[in-house]
Amino acid sequence: MTPTKQDKTVRVKDAQGAVPSQRPTVLELRGVSCVYGRDRSAITDISLGAQEGEILCLLGPSGCGKTTTLRAIAGFEPVSTGEISLGGRLVSSPGFRVPAEERRVGMVFQEYALFPHLRVAENVAFGLQHLSRDAQQAQVRHMLELVGLPDLARRYPHELSGGQQQRVALARALAQQPVILLLDEPFSNLDPDMAGKMRQDLHDLLRHTKTTTILVTHDHDEAFAMADRIAVLNDGRLEQMDTPEAIYHTPSTPFVADFVGQADFLPGTIEDGRVTTEIGEFPVHTAYRGGRDVVVMVRPDDVHIVPLVNATAYIQARLFHGSENLYTISLPSGRTVHSSEPSTTVYPVGTPVELQVIATHTVLFDRSRNHLPSS
Amino acid sequence: MTSATASLRHTLPHPLSLLALGTACLLALPLSYVCYLALTADPAIWLRLWTTRLPELLSNTAWLAAGVAAGTFLLGVSLAWVVVRFDFPGRRVWEWALVLPLAMPTYVLAYVYSHVLGLGGPAEQILQAFAGSDVRVMSPHSYAGVTLVMILDTFPFVYLLTRAALLNFNVSFDEVARSCGASRLRRLLGVMLPLLRPAIVAGLSLVILYVVSDFGAVSLLRYQTLTYAVYQQLTGRYDTGAASALSILLVLFALLFLAAERWFRERSRFYQTSGRYRSLERRACGALGATLITLYLSLVLGAAFLMPAWLLVRWSSSALSQGVMDARFFGFVWNSVSLSGLAATAAVLIGLPLAYLVSRRPSRFHLLCLHTAYAGYVLPGPVAALALLVLFAQLAPWWYGTVLVLLCAYVVHFLPAGLQSLEPALQQVNPNLEEAARSLGESPPRVLRRITLPLIKNGFLAAWVLMFLQSMKELPATLLLRPVGFDTLAVRVWLEASEEYYQLAAPSALLIVLLALPALWLLVTKDWRAA
Repeated sequence: MTPTKQDKTVRVKDAQGAVPSQRPTVLELRGVSCVYGRDRSAITDISLGAQEGEILCLLGPSGCGKTTTLRAIAGFEPVSTGEISLGGRLVSSPGFRVPAEERRVGMVFQEYALFPHLRVAENVAFGLQHLSRDAQQAQVRHMLELVGLPDLARRYPHELSGGQQQRVALARALAQQPVILLLDEPFSNLDPDMAGKMRQDLHDLLRHTKTTTILVTHDHDEAFAMADRIAVLNDGRLEQMDTPEAIYHTPSTPFVADFVGQADFLPGTIEDGRVTTEIGEFPVHTAYRGGRDVVVMVRPDDVHIVPLVNATAYIQARLFHGSENLYTISLPSGRTVHSSEPSTTVYPVGTPVELQVIATHTVLFDRSRNHLPSS
Repeated sequence: MTSATASLRHTLPHPLSLLALGTACLLALPLSYVCYLALTADPAIWLRLWTTRLPELLSNTAWLAAGVAAGTFLLGVSLAWVVVRFDFPGRRVWEWALVLPLAMPTYVLAYVYSHVLGLGGPAEQILQAFAGSDVRVMSPHSYAGVTLVMILDTFPFVYLLTRAALLNFNVSFDEVARSCGASRLRRLLGVMLPLLRPAIVAGLSLVILYVVSDFGAVSLLRYQTLTYAVYQQLTGRYDTGAASALSILLVLFALLFLAAERWFRERSRFYQTSGRYRSLERRACGALGATLITLYLSLVLGAAFLMPAWLLVRWSSSALSQGVMDARFFGFVWNSVSLSGLAATAAVLIGLPLAYLVSRRPSRFHLLCLHTAYAGYVLPGPVAALALLVLFAQLAPWWYGTVLVLLCAYVVHFLPAGLQSLEPALQQVNPNLEEAARSLGESPPRVLRRITLPLIKNGFLAAWVLMFLQSMKELPATLLLRPVGFDTLAVRVWLEASEEYYQLAAPSALLIVLLALPALWLLVTKDWRAA
């Protein structure tokens, strides 16, 4: 039960993806709240910012307020407290709202909202009325080439596949060279095979055009793949905002820990700078400031199992995921933890096993202050 | 989530709301006034009605409704079953042709049948040729005669709704029943019919609503129902008190079945499986089966549409050779067309803001306004006429007896039908489209012009056409409210048919039937899109 393997190094993104600090801030929300009707709040006291060229992801379960946040940025929802500025200009504050048509935001809706009575080229040119006809055509051609659909300009939206519709919606939003691009669950209407490829293409395109982007999703895999930084929302509040790696490895609340991947929570007690739990002892991170009674978050990829005849834990279930096997391990106390093993490592259910836990970044939550997700 | 954001979006007040409120109040005024008249009527009137006319009228109306409901149930369900479950030559044409009877107003069918079944008419001649000269066919001026005419005219309602339900039927239900070992009969009675029940009942409710408020057939065939009695009270005695009393009973009748129809239609939504499903497979039939089916379909359609249409064409051509199509005739055509055009245009202009508010700012208040506007739905023609008659006599006697009164009656009466077409047209325009246009830099008025109006154009047009054609064939309100000497096509048909001038009535009747075909086409294509 001692820590094994090498320390897992936290991956660092490419140069552009690394947290930018000196680039100008394009979007800023300061203590923004929105309410439904009289008093039910949709989002409460959200503060966040996005820097130029950054892809920021709003992640959370349905009903957490992420779409409301997006709509407030676009100018479709009034704010009840706080302020929103776009490109250095104040656009929303209580009782004041720059109308959506004057904000120059590009928005891609969940169902794309292509105008059904206009051809692809006319859809893309919709926001370019101020340009001359030639300039419009040139821009439309450029945008359609950018999204890889140069031959479909004469089609109507209903003649396009889901993926093509999404690209046209993207071309339309980008054609007016928006200050910021807003994407509302852009992959939810595509089938999963398609979504993976589209995700990659979109990521490349946004990098290439250096577009500042806010992406809303409920899918943590999508957020991890796309985002420079992720803001996790729950019940209308911002839980944590950080890089994908930090969100996954050092979540700041049990909700975040549970939402962005499989997590088990085991009770433990701190003594002499170490925390003792049922599955072993771990170092306490110096940043931890809380009581002695804690819970330790353990991810399946931190737990390795080895069959051992007289071990006290045993395999309760195995779930085959193709690329990995996910084992449910029953501990003597009756609690369970999960372990991720390679695809070819197959042990029968009931096998007694010993646990080897990699404890490089122990995540602790104060038991008296945190309500644990039931899992 | 979506509903939450939607309500968040629609909390701002709007000046259009006042307009909607005003419209709704104006539209509800006639109905409220009739209710007021009925409730404040002298109790002696109620007593007199109760001891003289009412028992007969109520039982006549109820029996007619019951008979027609039974007949349309048998015809409508069996026809829908045949065209959905079997495959035979010409099936697609039949599927479409079976709605043709809806193009025939009841007074046209009634007048054709009063000739066909009449004394010495074709039916009697044919029968006597086979069975001897002292045999009689049933009189058209009887319960059986009226019931037959109404069944032939209204069975497509049941047919259309049942057919749509059958097309949406998820075959998995049937397969589950089979895997549980249910016999054919048990599957039919225990699975199919219960699942189709909401659609069938909705269809029957429409039929009953139609029968109860019908004036044309019962007046030509002289069968005493509540609607006919209201008309008689107004023309024979000019007794508005008694007419109101009878009207309120009619309105209650109508409300009952309208509520039933809504309720069952709501339920039928739960009965249909959403998402992916397989529908029933058609069975190919052999030569004998195909012949029997074709025979059955020809018999029904022949009686309900082909034979009457053929007679109308024959009469019209002989009327034509007698020189009936003179300047006077074209005057009636012009009266009908201009009046209906005006009414439809006015109704669309009045209905659009209301429909817009309900689909874009669906507050409880706006919904209430919309439902109030639907009040005209439960007003049978003569009742609507009665209401406007007394209202104008009281409030604006100087307009009494002008075309304006007639226009108001059409708008109140037919706007609900138009709203039913305007509302979904607007609802189909996803609000996201308007928002997308705004995020691309367009102001709200320009979004209305560039996005919303082009997209609702068809629904707009459909509503206009529907209201235009409904007004074209409207009979009772026109009879009661028209200015002296102002005849429309429908009025001419009724007047001439009442005097049994079959040939004189034919050109007008034929024109009405021909003009009704486009409306039918709209109805059918809408239904097919839904199915």
